[in-house]
Amino acid sequence: MASQRDTANRIGSVKNIQKITSAMQMVAAARLRKAEQRIAALRPYADTISRMTSQAAAAAGHVPQLPILNEHDSVDNVGLLLVTGDRGLAGSFNSQIIRAGIRARGEIADDGQSTTFYAVGRRGDSSLTFRNLAPKNSYIGFTDKPGYADARHISEELMAAYIDGELDQVDIIYNSYVSPLTQVVTRQRILPLQHASILEGGLDADEEGHAALQAGGDEGAGDAEAAGGSRALWLYEPDPEELLKRLIPDFVEITVFRALLESAASELGARMTAMRSASDNAGEMIQNLTLEMNRQRQAAITQEILEVVGGAEGL
Amino acid sequence: MATMFPVEVMTPEGAAFEGEVEMVSTRTTVGSIGIRANHQPVMAMLDPTELRLYVGGDEIRRFAQGEGYIQMAGNHALLLVEDAIPVEELDVNDLNDKLAEAEARLEASEDGTAARERAERDVSRWSTYRDIASS
Repeated sequence: MASQRDTANRIGSVKNIQKITSAMQMVAAARLRKAEQRIAALRPYADTISRMTSQAAAAAGHVPQLPILNEHDSVDNVGLLLVTGDRGLAGSFNSQIIRAGIRARGEIADDGQSTTFYAVGRRGDSSLTFRNLAPKNSYIGFTDKPGYADARHISEELMAAYIDGELDQVDIIYNSYVSPLTQVVTRQRILPLQHASILEGGLDADEEGHAALQAGGDEGAGDAEAAGGSRALWLYEPDPEELLKRLIPDFVEITVFRALLESAASELGARMTAMRSASDNAGEMIQNLTLEMNRQRQAAITQEILEVVGGAEGL
Repeated sequence: MATMFPVEVMTPEGAAFEGEVEMVSTRTTVGSIGIRANHQPVMAMLDPTELRLYVGGDEIRRFAQGEGYIQMAGNHALLLVEDAIPVEELDVNDLNDKLAEAEARLEASEDGTAARERAERDVSRWSTYRDIASS
């Protein structure tokens, strides 16, 4: 049986752990608010890019055939981008992404296709490497505060691989942020880019050409009216077609950036929840151990009294 | 006094500026552009440069501006840019490091690849920022 001193030591160490976990909980809670604001800050930017794209598509009369919009004839190799965090201690935040990624790989293999992994976050990188599924590339060191430059870097690399035919499809798997308590594992197609996602109103991809023209036309006319003149007065520099060539890849960057931001917020939410239950557990443990220690002390005192009484009788 | 008009500078990380200005000065892929109130409707692609907002009087707000777009419609200018960093917040040493890294990538990349194109864009961005910071 552990001595009184051992139990006291254990109480001390559990108390220390509790201090750390509750500090981590508070830090996560404070940073979560900022992370939520960053998700909100992206929305107006993304909406304006959509509006500009619709207008440029209307002015150009069509959406140019960009390689990232074209579906490949046969899908042989699927890229999976797993978004995890650089650090652990966040409950199932990282492991559920890895699990979803491995399950997706199984489904892809059932269709006779192969998978290439890409990882965001040190955790994803090390878990995949450990399972002998080393990612083709890992992006680490920014998951707690992703910048737009990070999203651009990742997207450009994936787009280059798609254009060069190394990948025929790219999906992203991340924890989308619902609330501090709820994160939902989400799988989203990022390449080939869907026409529907670049033009407002979720158009039917089959009628993309005409639909794009129409939807864009209405939108453009609306903007032109707002400007108090006809569309012919608009000055485009360079011409709308060139503008679209840069606007359209922006959608991929924005999608990736949004996923990174949501994942960062989810990580903080998950850490907050995990650390709260760790602190609660530590509290419970301290209570049990204190009870245990008191019992031991009582037993020792009883023992001593018995010895004194026994000794006295022996005299 | 010059007529003022509303301008918004948006980045993916939030608004960098919102308010009334006399003139916006920036650079499109075609060349420098200055926009005053009641400018013709325009939509243009922007290159990295020093963005100047003449907010009235002698005051000029300066930003290191990344790639993006400008849209002037209904006497309201909207700039969508990947970066808009106030000039006083730039760090020359940090920018020199980034520039050196991008230049190394440019050296290592092969002609005609997407990697090379990316390195070129990075070099142009960081060297522009560095020049703004050290001027």
